[in-house]
Amino acid sequence: MIDERTANVGIGFRKEFAEEFLAGNVLSPAFVEVAPENWMGIGGYWKKIFKRVAEKHEIYSHGLSLSLGGPDELDWEFLKNLKSFLKEYDIKIYSEHLSFAKCDNAHLYDLLPVPFRWDAVQHIAQRIKSVQDFLERKIAIEIVSYYTPVAAEMSEVDFINSVVKEADCNLLLDVNNIYVNGFNHNYDTKEFLQKLSLDPVAYIHMAGHEKVADDLIIDTHGEPIIQPVYDLFDYTVQILPQPVPVLLERDFNIPELTELQFEMNRLENICTKHWRNELVTA
Amino acid sequence: MLLREETYRQQSNFAHYCRTGEFLPIKGVDEKRVHHYSRLVFNVIDDTLRSAFPLTVDLFSEEEWETTTRRFFASHRCNSYSVWKMPFEFYQYIISSEDELINKFPFLDELLLFEWTEIEIHMMEDKMFPEISFTGDFENDVIAFNPEFKILQMKYPVHLKNPNEITETDEGVFSVLIFRQPETGNVQFTDISYFFYRLIQKIMNEQKPLADFIGEAEQTFGVERSILLTNTIPFLMELQQNKFIIGFKK
Repeated sequence: MIDERTANVGIGFRKEFAEEFLAGNVLSPAFVEVAPENWMGIGGYWKKIFKRVAEKHEIYSHGLSLSLGGPDELDWEFLKNLKSFLKEYDIKIYSEHLSFAKCDNAHLYDLLPVPFRWDAVQHIAQRIKSVQDFLERKIAIEIVSYYTPVAAEMSEVDFINSVVKEADCNLLLDVNNIYVNGFNHNYDTKEFLQKLSLDPVAYIHMAGHEKVADDLIIDTHGEPIIQPVYDLFDYTVQILPQPVPVLLERDFNIPELTELQFEMNRLENICTKHWRNELVTA
Repeated sequence: MLLREETYRQQSNFAHYCRTGEFLPIKGVDEKRVHHYSRLVFNVIDDTLRSAFPLTVDLFSEEEWETTTRRFFASHRCNSYSVWKMPFEFYQYIISSEDELINKFPFLDELLLFEWTEIEIHMMEDKMFPEISFTGDFENDVIAFNPEFKILQMKYPVHLKNPNEITETDEGVFSVLIFRQPETGNVQFTDISYFFYRLIQKIMNEQKPLADFIGEAEQTFGVERSILLTNTIPFLMELQQNKFIIGFKK
């Protein structure tokens, strides 16, 4: 898809603002992102709403349950349903998290940190390849925020670069997560970004967070984006080799839609400043 | 699997801690921070279940709710990839593993099923509606029902009474029709008598006009045909107004 603008800023769709979003034009995203787990295999009111959204907007999808970093078998039934869903709504982007959400046959409904280890790199890369083969497309994997390392044997950036290279997949760069991780684990975020393979970056997420202690931030998606994260986003946009779509995520504490549009405008202005002469492709 | 057994063990211990709160050794983990995972993971479970079962939350003491939901998450392996379906697993867990609660609240299984069914009907995939005629005769044409429904048969009136006020003396035979309105997607509940429950089942299964069943009902219930019709037709008209009856078979 090629959007005829220099910035391609979308919004994470939430049921909380669905009706207002569809009824008015306060929020004008270039695309809308949904979690397929919440919209697959449903009917009735929410299916009608989803269809209306899909008629008006390009849909991107961002999975929650695939557990690419988990030890359990991939859920092929889920993948089969996902593939139909992506086809039904002509969804071109599917992304997932570089984390695990299921272990010992139990879903945990959250994103748990994977061990930064070489065997985990191989394991995850093989799973991503299987998913890409099955879905007949490249997927983008998101660097997640984390609050404690788990059994790490290599650096986070080496781990991510290795997974992306081995799997030949795209990268979803959540700039807020990089900020959160830099703060929580006391590293320089710009240095981290310089070491990260940026060529595979296909998509950016932006969100707010909550500082719960002097040395800990939790990635809540429940607050507005703070200035230092905008600054890091500005820096990221400058060093990326190509323009990519950008998403604003707001999952809790949903404000007036004008506030969300204001945040999207800020993101768009930063993109436009640096990508003035380029088209955004997805 | 390319994952080493030892790496798997670290992940398994981490997930086990998140589910149960029991800390098994995990290499390199920050013990001051790891509890945030346990807290965040459980918040999702608790929020989802509270929103799915508001009547049950109200029935339980806060301690009962907390300990039950924690036992559920620790001992049951949630299999639904969509978190909105997880409450059904909670219902299944309660009826299979929480005898003490079932003994304390003999209607608990029905209450949980009733609350879950509202979600299930609201979210269920769209069903094919039959080709119908909007006009027809209730007595002599085959009535067409909205296919997006369930009828629960219960021993306790969990759909009629505040669960805190239900006692064993309320035990009886209850049927509740739960269906989704086609235009709005809203879920409607209608208390129906055993007679209407049987009647709806028969019309659906046998696809015959009401007139065919009234004769049978006359015999079974020993009530005159005219009285049966006088009571039945207004009820069917009400179901038509509420969009459970969508018309008549062509």
